[in-house]
Amino acid sequence: MNAREPHIHRRLRVSGVLIILGLSVELLSLIRIHPLAFMVFLSVGGGLLAAGVVLYLHSLVSVAHAVPREDAH
Amino acid sequence: MRSAAQAISEGLLILPGPSTLLYLLIGVSILMVAFVVARPDITVTRGGKQLAFVVLFVLPVVVASMGAGEQMRRTEQTEFCLSCHVMEPYGRSLRIDDSTYMPASHFQNARIPREQACYTCHTDYAMYGTVRDKLRGLQHVYAQYIGGVPATIHLYTPYNNRECLHCHAGARSFEEGAVHNADPTIMAAIKSNELSCVSSGCHSNIHDIEHLDELKLWEAPQ
Repeated sequence: MNAREPHIHRRLRVSGVLIILGLSVELLSLIRIHPLAFMVFLSVGGGLLAAGVVLYLHSLVSVAHAVPREDAH
Repeated sequence: MRSAAQAISEGLLILPGPSTLLYLLIGVSILMVAFVVARPDITVTRGGKQLAFVVLFVLPVVVASMGAGEQMRRTEQTEFCLSCHVMEPYGRSLRIDDSTYMPASHFQNARIPREQACYTCHTDYAMYGTVRDKLRGLQHVYAQYIGGVPATIHLYTPYNNRECLHCHAGARSFEEGAVHNADPTIMAAIKSNELSCVSSGCHSNIHDIEHLDELKLWEAPQ
């Protein structure tokens, strides 16, 4: 990441990293059959995935909001 | 030339199970997300935007849904229930070498799927029963790791005949059983849960964990 990188790219990177972490946690939690693995899958894996997806969707919405509409000029 | 079905039955072709496919999908998803993280500038093009949408939204939602389904399936497995130390004697009681013990008899004679032994008899076959069971399961995890396991483990409510009748209703051995029909009121009382199958003195040998050490256990052939 550098200072000149567009804001949306930074958000995409962060959401991507959160999703990778979430997927990795879900993958690891599927190795064992145990109630704690189930809890980790739901809370940690699901939480990270949800955060990543929400951040991605938010970045889409915020970019669309920032682009001025032609009829506004 | 062998057909695919023949090859599978002869063990020459091993198809990946749902878990393997899920692992593969998660692995592929991680790689694709890593690509978008490394090259976010691809989203400048229309195709890149579509790829980012699939990778950062569609795939995670699909993988999470499939993973949740797999985890829910695993919660029904005997191995899952017995992974808590406190449940270990209940698991051993399934091997009591005495056919009068209902859980052991059902387990050893494969009257219930052995890999889902606990779930088959202890799930709630009423509407929303599965949801209720999962919520109780969360309570069990809390008790196991935070709240403390009670000295005596007991069912939340008396065992309901509905769980037995889920399989036995309509079965000849049950419907035409001499004792079940000894009196015309008995069958109606069983079916309405007024006369309990397991606590009325008829099939009352269940998980006798207090006397496990005194009982002979069955060793399943390898």
